[in-house]
Amino acid sequence: MKQKFKVALAQISCTVGEKAKNLETIEKAVVTAKRNNTDIVIFPELSLTGYVVRDQIYELAETVPGPSTTAIEKIARKTKTYIVFGMPELSEKTQATIFNTAVLVGPEGFIGKYRKMYLPTHSVFEEKRYFRPGYQTAVFDTSLGKIGLIICYDIFFPEVSRLTRLEGAQLIICISASPAVRRTFFETLISARAIENTAFIAYVNLVGIEDGLQFWGGSRIAGPQGRVLAKAKYDEEDFVVGEIDYSDMRAVETFVPTLRDLRPEIFDKMKERAEKL
Amino acid sequence: MKLTPSVLDLDWLDVETKIARFINDYVDKIKAKGIIVGLSGGIDSSVAGALSAKAIGGNRVLGLMLPEKETRNEEDIRHAKLVIKKFKLRSQLCDITPTLEAIYTSIPTFDTADRVCKGNIKARTRMLYNYYYANKLNLLVCGSSDKSETMMGYFTKWGDVAADISPIMDLYKTQVKKLADHIGIPKNIIAKPPTPALWPSQTAEGELGIRYETLDLILYGLEHFMTVEEISEQLLMKPSIITKVKQRWLGAEHKRRMLLTTKLEYRTVGTDFRLRRG
Repeated sequence: MKQKFKVALAQISCTVGEKAKNLETIEKAVVTAKRNNTDIVIFPELSLTGYVVRDQIYELAETVPGPSTTAIEKIARKTKTYIVFGMPELSEKTQATIFNTAVLVGPEGFIGKYRKMYLPTHSVFEEKRYFRPGYQTAVFDTSLGKIGLIICYDIFFPEVSRLTRLEGAQLIICISASPAVRRTFFETLISARAIENTAFIAYVNLVGIEDGLQFWGGSRIAGPQGRVLAKAKYDEEDFVVGEIDYSDMRAVETFVPTLRDLRPEIFDKMKERAEKL
Repeated sequence: MKLTPSVLDLDWLDVETKIARFINDYVDKIKAKGIIVGLSGGIDSSVAGALSAKAIGGNRVLGLMLPEKETRNEEDIRHAKLVIKKFKLRSQLCDITPTLEAIYTSIPTFDTADRVCKGNIKARTRMLYNYYYANKLNLLVCGSSDKSETMMGYFTKWGDVAADISPIMDLYKTQVKKLADHIGIPKNIIAKPPTPALWPSQTAEGELGIRYETLDLILYGLEHFMTVEEISEQLLMKPSIITKVKQRWLGAEHKRRMLLTTKLEYRTVGTDFRLRRG
């Protein structure tokens, strides 16, 4: 397993509703990443389709694995690169049950997926109208260490990142489609999740305008001490490479030992109280 | 939340950039050749015209001046021309008086004393001219409605609000004034009292019965789910005034959400056909 590796944050703007075009964009970015000797390339939430697709989601959703996953697997195998991207996932058991899913593929092919647990349905968001929530965190053992996946609004719920970390994730990847008015929340939460879990967080946000919604970009890697190690531009497409060195975690874990000091009994209380909110 | 004028402060450079990006992106996606904006010489249309020019270049923006004899004001025309010159817009002036008179005379029951009905004909006639040029030249109609007017329903249905994009619709009037100052709209345009120019001497504040500085704080409070009592306490105003604004805001929803039908079938236009634009 590599202790040190390069991560590319592919902050793209999507062509809404056009999977073929977005697949081309993904392939181009991965080829660029390969030229930069990066080991993993991360794309935003729903990067296969765009975020504001509304009812078109029913015709765009695919099973995972499925045709688009297979296409991206091929790119991963050819370039020997890990790729994380987002797509609407159609359940294999029904015809219109869809998940907001993050997919991880690598040189060995399809590795795994994560279904977004917290679906925002307030303000401009209407995710519960279209998606079924996921019920499990996802951590995958790879040659780049243990990689956990979360999606956008999940980051507002510290228990998702915490559980992902407790399952062993050293690098938590958060793919996102966050509109501009929410920037300050995310900028705070990304570093907070990194610090409280003493883990690396790679956050990749969408850019561009979809149905009047402007996405702010600002993708970044936060180290276990919360420091921003690499950061993409605001509001425009960008491609940024940062380096992750897992040996940095040891020093932070001794300095701020948040995992050593965990108090599991509080979680029981939290469950009890949350049920009675 | 403290309802003070500072809550309406924004980073105006950021707002300008976001609006310009929005305009540019939509014109590009729709593959329009440019934008048409009706220029009244007032602050809202001046800001909409200037931002359009900043977004896609003044040579792709047509500023249309549509005076008519009852409300014709040479100062307003001069102000519209100032904006045209400063932001290098293309321009066209059409006197819509003959069209209006033809409409008035062709309606058997037309009542010249009913200034609201007559005024709304003017607003809808201006819309007709905007869309003629948009259609003819493959342009998008850029609306000039602001958030204060839109929330209050202070516009003509299918008239001045009719547009393909409304880039300043999420800014209250007092915010539009600040943005106008930031982007260099001449001070005398910013300072003069806003009017929809539907009849002579009409002013927006006179008709709304409240100053924009106060109205915008009330609307901001309502936007942020504050109660009538909370707003009234903070602004030291009678609850009845806040209630009146709230009722007017809620009562005007029919003007903002169009194409109402009753549900009869599987998916219905305007209800659960949830499609994206563009």
